Amino acid sequence: MIIATVEPWVEAPLKRYVDDARARLALLLHPSGQVVAQAGFTNEVDVMSACALAAASHATAGELGKHVDGRAFRSLHYAGPDRQLFLSPVETARGAYICLTVFNLDSSLGLVRIYFEELCRDLAAAAPPLSDLRQPTLAIDFERDLDRNLAALFGRGAETA
Amino acid sequence: MTQFTPMLQALTRQRGVRASLIVSESDGLVVDSSLRFGQDGDRVAALAASMYRKARLSARAAQLGAVAFLQLDAERGRVCAVGGRSDLVIVVVADPAVNVGLIRVELFKALESLA
Repeated sequence: MIIATVEPWVEAPLKRYVDDARARLALLLHPSGQVVAQAGFTNEVDVMSACALAAASHATAGELGKHVDGRAFRSLHYAGPDRQLFLSPVETARGAYICLTVFNLDSSLGLVRIYFEELCRDLAAAAPPLSDLRQPTLAIDFERDLDRNLAALFGRGAETA
Repeated sequence: MTQFTPMLQALTRQRGVRASLIVSESDGLVVDSSLRFGQDGDRVAALAASMYRKARLSARAAQLGAVAFLQLDAERGRVCAVGGRSDLVIVVVADPAVNVGLIRVELFKALESLA
């Protein structure tokens, strides 16, 4: 499976996770929807769509959880007839990410959850500390950053704005 | 406490048994469990369900019929599983020196009560 990452420290933990959990697709993204790493996707439009939808689903589940339970729901699981998805946040020293995992009948929710816990530990251990204060993502930078990340993942030259 | 709890507790009371669980084969999630201290039920459930499903599919592909009893012997323990009546699989984790014959009889009895 092809794995591409914007941040190199993500690659080894993500590869191990995808192999162990027998995931078909995996996506690591910022809560804003910016992609950090992907496994199994062949089309950058699919990555963009999946990132936007995953970020929206995560935000929606978080708000629903606050209404229903007083705090954000963390993980989300949807099951289709052949494919299922698992969406859950990952906390690291570099901030929070969201991981979207798609799996089929070769795996199971139980296996994905177990190996996801290992992914969280591996990413937390591998994340280099932030050397300077993280700048908030501004709307004006979002598209430029998104383009840069997609270019890094799919190996095309970065487009200049 | 569920309808399965007495059956699982009876299995875990057998000498050398560390954990007994009822697991969903398709999801790999625990339905109910009786665990001794130090056992990770979620991990055992997910891996045992995956193993049982693979064994069932392999047996079918080899035209051997249904899987009756699955046993994994490892360096530091054994995993035994029975299922096939529904999506539920009964799993026992035991010491390497456990009496497997007895465990097998108890697992089939438990499977009857599950039906």
